[in-house]
Amino acid sequence: MRILVVEDDAEAATAMVRGLTEAGHEPTHAVDGAFGLLEAQKGGYDVYVVDRMMPRLDGIGMVETLRKDGDQTPVLFLSALGEVDDRVAGLKAGADDYLVKPYAFSELIARVEALSRRRETGSVATMLKVGDLEMNLISRSVHRAGREIDLQPREFQLLEFLMRHAGQSVTRTMLLEKVWEYHFDPQTNVIDVHISRLRAKIDKGFDHAMLQTVRGAGYRLEP
Amino acid sequence: MKLPSLLRRTPFRLTLLFLALFAAAASAILAWVYFASAMEASSKAERDVRAEMEVLTGIYDARGLDALNMAVIDRTLTGRYEYLLMDKDGARITGSLSISPFETFEGNRQWITFPFTDTLPDGTVVRPQVRGVQVRLAGGEMLFVGASLIDTEAYLARLTQALWAAMGIVLLLGLAGGILVSRNLERSMGRLGKVVTAVQEGDLKARAPVRNSGDELDELGAGLNTMLDRLEASMASIRHAGDAIAHDLRSPLTRMRAKLEVALMDAEAGKIDGVDAVQLALDEADSLLKTFNTVLAIARLQAGGAPDTRLFDAADLAADMAELYEPASEDKGLEFSAEIERGLMVEGNQPFLAQALANIIDNAIKYTPTGGAVMLRARRRSSGEIEYSVTDTGPGVPEADRERVIERFVRLDNSRTEAGSGLGLSLVGAVMEAHGGRIILDEGPGAYGGFGPGLRVALVLPAAQ
Repeated sequence: MRILVVEDDAEAATAMVRGLTEAGHEPTHAVDGAFGLLEAQKGGYDVYVVDRMMPRLDGIGMVETLRKDGDQTPVLFLSALGEVDDRVAGLKAGADDYLVKPYAFSELIARVEALSRRRETGSVATMLKVGDLEMNLISRSVHRAGREIDLQPREFQLLEFLMRHAGQSVTRTMLLEKVWEYHFDPQTNVIDVHISRLRAKIDKGFDHAMLQTVRGAGYRLEP
Repeated sequence: MKLPSLLRRTPFRLTLLFLALFAAAASAILAWVYFASAMEASSKAERDVRAEMEVLTGIYDARGLDALNMAVIDRTLTGRYEYLLMDKDGARITGSLSISPFETFEGNRQWITFPFTDTLPDGTVVRPQVRGVQVRLAGGEMLFVGASLIDTEAYLARLTQALWAAMGIVLLLGLAGGILVSRNLERSMGRLGKVVTAVQEGDLKARAPVRNSGDELDELGAGLNTMLDRLEASMASIRHAGDAIAHDLRSPLTRMRAKLEVALMDAEAGKIDGVDAVQLALDEADSLLKTFNTVLAIARLQAGGAPDTRLFDAADLAADMAELYEPASEDKGLEFSAEIERGLMVEGNQPFLAQALANIIDNAIKYTPTGGAVMLRARRRSSGEIEYSVTDTGPGVPEADRERVIERFVRLDNSRTEAGSGLGLSLVGAVMEAHGGRIILDEGPGAYGGFGPGLRVALVLPAAQ
């Protein structure tokens, strides 16, 4: 995946470029919003990772310009400002996701991959299929290997998110934000308990466990 | 060029302006008094003269010219008026005047005012105005009767003098008052200014003297003091927060250091993988960052209130939280229940309120031993306020400590050993304060069978308007 990293902090940028490269992506670094804009206009990127505060052209200005030019490439905002209104301002400017510094690298990778995935599955699907697990979004029913699985509404949403990001790590924070739509720190890992209940329903009785724990990152649904 | 310092002072300049306006108004009033008095004096003279003329023409009509002549002679010697009796050609017959003040006399009756020179018995010469009337008698003779306005003039002169003196006194007193007031004000302002200067120089303890007299300067001083109190308190709070941060960061830093050292030894001895050691260090770094973020959030809430507030249903939030935490609670072997009234609109920052509610639910789950119960309620109080409450059957918080745990950065000794930054309730307190609400800690359901007495934490929010 080609990723444009727009970040004025050289050290953070170096770490990010290295991490993304090791995760199998092709990152390119731009030192501020103006260079970022030039680079983005060359095209060919799958995701932009943009620091919110930069000299010359800041992240908001850069993303607003891109969106005005009709560039719909997903944008992940990075910011040291964690307040809710900052998040709202960032999303309003056209960013697709928002990550507060400092962040765990696994969180960044997971979000970047989630953004690119979202773009691929832009069309409206009525059925999701991962391995032998099938989800009908119209009848809201789930089957694994032909056997019906009864899920609570939240478990259904949780599984839907995991299926849409199958093969890809999702973090606990991402799940809280995207499935529960809350932005706060739940203190204990309440998400883990929900996952283990879901896991009991979709994996119990099958020889192959689909819902896997990714150490230091979160979870991944494998076919 | 610089004005003298007094003239540059606002109170004094205001006094001068006020005095100028006052002097203009006083002049107008004095002028009116003067003209009214002059008019009154002149018309009184006319009335007197007219009456005297009536008497004399009466004598003439009844007893003829000779009688009138006699009367005029009599009155000239004793009377207060000036007389002149003339024949029909205007030649003097008798009287105090030698010639008529009229150069030409047309008609039967004519009024005139003219200057008259008189020598008083003591020899002084006066030149009063005389106001008089001349009439033609039935036989063609002419009679003039005039009254000197000398008394009136003296009266008006005295009046004018008095008025000028009064004006002078008013201006002098006003000026003196102005200086006094401006000095006074300057002194009071100076006291306030001194406090401001002291604070500028870093002495936050400086306070303006307040006499509780209720005047504006006193109020200003009191306001300044309140502001300084608040400033000092928040400075103290920041200092306190700084100490607390230092303390909160020191423990995990110390732990991290120790763990890294152990990990290094273990790795050197080949007991563990270097990766595990680094993972441990990362976990510790994460917990440090979490503490730091919480401290920052508290500081921002205290400084700026709740950001980005909107109207939402507190019941929905409670239901979501119950749904989110119920599995974790049940996994720990706690009975979790929720009682949520519908339609509890509040205005607030939803993520912060979610965090606050999460913190108290998390505390309840954390501190309640297996087999206990946790209950979440959301309801409208009879006062109309919205109340979230979480009741548990854990060990509770001793009554003496309840106030303290709500205070910022205070941790009970027995909770220091528990996981967590210890800032949870502080953040809840800050969130509630920023929303104009409050946090109440109370006894739970009481002690029974090894449980309890429990704790009930209520978050009270003002209802949306």
